[in-house]
Amino acid sequence: MMLPFFAPDVFDDEREVLLGVLRGVGTAPAQRFILGEHTARLERLLRDSMGAADVVACGSGTSALGMVLHAMGVGPMEIGRGAEVIVPAFGCAPLAAAVVNLGATPVFADVDPVTMVIDPERVEALVTPRTRVLMPAHVFSTMADMPRLAEIAARRGLRLLEDSAVAQGAVLRGRPAGLWGEAGVFSFVQVKTFGMPGEGAVVVTRDAELGAAVRLLRNHGQDGRRRFLHHRIGYNSRFDEVQAAFQVHRFATLPQRLARRAAIADYYSRRLGGLRDRGVCAPPAGTDGRSGYVYALQVRRRAELREHLAGRGIGSHVYYPRTLPGQPAFAAYAPPGRTWPNAELASRRALAVPIYPQLTDAQVECIADAVCEFAEAAPA
Amino acid sequence: MPFVSGLADIDVQIPFFTQSVTFERLWPLISRHVDEIGRRGKYSHGPKVAEFEQALARYTGARFVIGVNSGTDALVLLLRAAGLEPGDEVVVPAYGFVASASSVVLAGGRPVFADIDRRSYALDPAAADAAVTPRCRFILPAHMFAQVADMGGILRVAARHGLTVLEDSAEAIGMRWAGVHAGLLGAGGVLSFFPTKTLGAIGDAGAVLTDDERIAETVGALRHHGRFGRTLDHFPGIANPTELSGVNSKMDDIQAAVLLAKLTCLDADIETRARLAAGYTERLSGLAGIVRLPAAVDRPVVTTGVCYVYLVEVARRAELAEYLARRGIGTESYYPMPLPRQPCFAHLGYSGGEFPNAEAACRRALALPLYPDLGMAGVDRVCAAIRAFCAASGGGG
Repeated sequence: MMLPFFAPDVFDDEREVLLGVLRGVGTAPAQRFILGEHTARLERLLRDSMGAADVVACGSGTSALGMVLHAMGVGPMEIGRGAEVIVPAFGCAPLAAAVVNLGATPVFADVDPVTMVIDPERVEALVTPRTRVLMPAHVFSTMADMPRLAEIAARRGLRLLEDSAVAQGAVLRGRPAGLWGEAGVFSFVQVKTFGMPGEGAVVVTRDAELGAAVRLLRNHGQDGRRRFLHHRIGYNSRFDEVQAAFQVHRFATLPQRLARRAAIADYYSRRLGGLRDRGVCAPPAGTDGRSGYVYALQVRRRAELREHLAGRGIGSHVYYPRTLPGQPAFAAYAPPGRTWPNAELASRRALAVPIYPQLTDAQVECIADAVCEFAEAAPA
Repeated sequence: MPFVSGLADIDVQIPFFTQSVTFERLWPLISRHVDEIGRRGKYSHGPKVAEFEQALARYTGARFVIGVNSGTDALVLLLRAAGLEPGDEVVVPAYGFVASASSVVLAGGRPVFADIDRRSYALDPAAADAAVTPRCRFILPAHMFAQVADMGGILRVAARHGLTVLEDSAEAIGMRWAGVHAGLLGAGGVLSFFPTKTLGAIGDAGAVLTDDERIAETVGALRHHGRFGRTLDHFPGIANPTELSGVNSKMDDIQAAVLLAKLTCLDADIETRARLAAGYTERLSGLAGIVRLPAAVDRPVVTTGVCYVYLVEVARRAELAEYLARRGIGTESYYPMPLPRQPCFAHLGYSGGEFPNAEAACRRALALPLYPDLGMAGVDRVCAAIRAFCAASGGGG
């Protein structure tokens, strides 16, 4: 059995659809390839389905974060110098890079030891008069503690940007991921829950003004009415029509894929939930504030489990083998003496196992069996 | 009854740009490339992007081609990789697309504008020389429309002031100065594959061209979250250490598929463009004095132009554009405003009047439809309409 960690056949069922939209967009009389009707339709679908004030399609989740920060008054560059943004110490590079690339300073907060999301207790102590934005991120299958973070942001006068890139479809206390912050983002890179055959993302927001600002920024500061009038320094961070047409088509089956991922996550948590004493800690069961994008265990003997799984043809992946302040690019923003022990632990222990919807029940069972077998053979 | 005749004409519109006939002709090739992408299962930053980079390196003669998400991103990453530090100043032309200057701001620098040469529409070496400040470290000429900038003059200015030359060669595929492809005359250049370009994708895509290994490696890392080592066509590379504060500027493999297909007929397309441009010049030359036609500037070395845009100048530009639009003919005003006068550069404090050549071009320049699908019959119709406009307006243009 070969079960790669990254599914190679993500769009196999929709090959004909992809060829159809590509040929259709390529030969359509409109000859509109970027930010056209298909993109507008995708934005409306997403906006209405989640009750957002605006959804703005753009080039990538990374640039989406950067543009929202920019719209919130962080940067660009010379103008951003000195502004601080509080981000988790464990997560993907854009959390820090989006801040640094605007000339601002990322301030790293430690994470919760079990869920690996930013720890609200740590955030409070890091707020300074220069803090502009609080940017928590949802990690793997767990949303950050948005109610408490929103309370802190409100009380300390901070803008709240939610890195929900991985959490499309997750709902916490009745509110969808992306709408707890003033703005959130969803990434559509192929491996994501609503992945597509190319790069793209959306900004979702409950603030129409913020949405309008990002609309300007994504297309060189132009207002979409008068070409070549550039109100602000902007970016090229746009959405391709081919991808939008494909996503509009696939939107109908998104709930099925979300449900399948959730079912797999739930199965894993039931099978693996009792292995903590044996050095394998699974995310808690439950559905509130959870998504099935990546299922990551925390494993004391991670390298050995990886090898064990590989021996059975099962791929696994270490997403963040270093903390963000531990990355060479961001070392300059790690004040001497400050430590992030839980982020360190997470970077040594987190191991993600396959969870994509194409997995059959038998394959999912087989992956759980392999993890159990490893844990049970381990010294207690 | 001009209104009625306008309606009748709308049935045979001549859009400013279309590539649908070319796309349909290339479809067997495009769909084969897309099938290959599906078999490999990597849809961005994948093997088709690598294949396109190699093909483009062969075409341009660049040692390194790095595929990215847009020409704008290519400029920003090139500036960063070439060593731009916060606060560094960069000499840029006062006329052109906004990215020629906004890329400098996004990379952390400050643009210093200089006027253009009236004939090539590109940075004027003398004006650039006068604009250099003590904080200038780079000079970023842009090649405009149909010919290369005066690279001899610009290289001399750069040498005199110790500036690094980078080229905004976004629209210059196929253009050469003394046999060297645009973008490779200094430390590096860029290409945009915006759909209307001579080599156009059907979405956003761009590339950096360079012969400098260190710049190439740095751009390669910056486009993928600052990760060095193998990331192209390699999923596990996402765990490589983040050495630089990078971005996500990965090219889509579907765009690479379209570009690979179009690259097979690029030289033929360039010839077609030249023929259509010659057709315009022939049919419009009788209007000299009313309509200014593009002309190749003589250079001391052999240069190769490419007719990407056929740009005319006319005093009553807005009226001509509207007259043509009513007859179903699309045009573009490249560019309506000098860059230093754009609201986004207001903080730099230019007041107007400093760049007379850029300002004149901005008042008068109009781009006519020019693309391989147009055909000479299309050129005939556009030219007939322009002649009718000139006749109707009493030769006052």
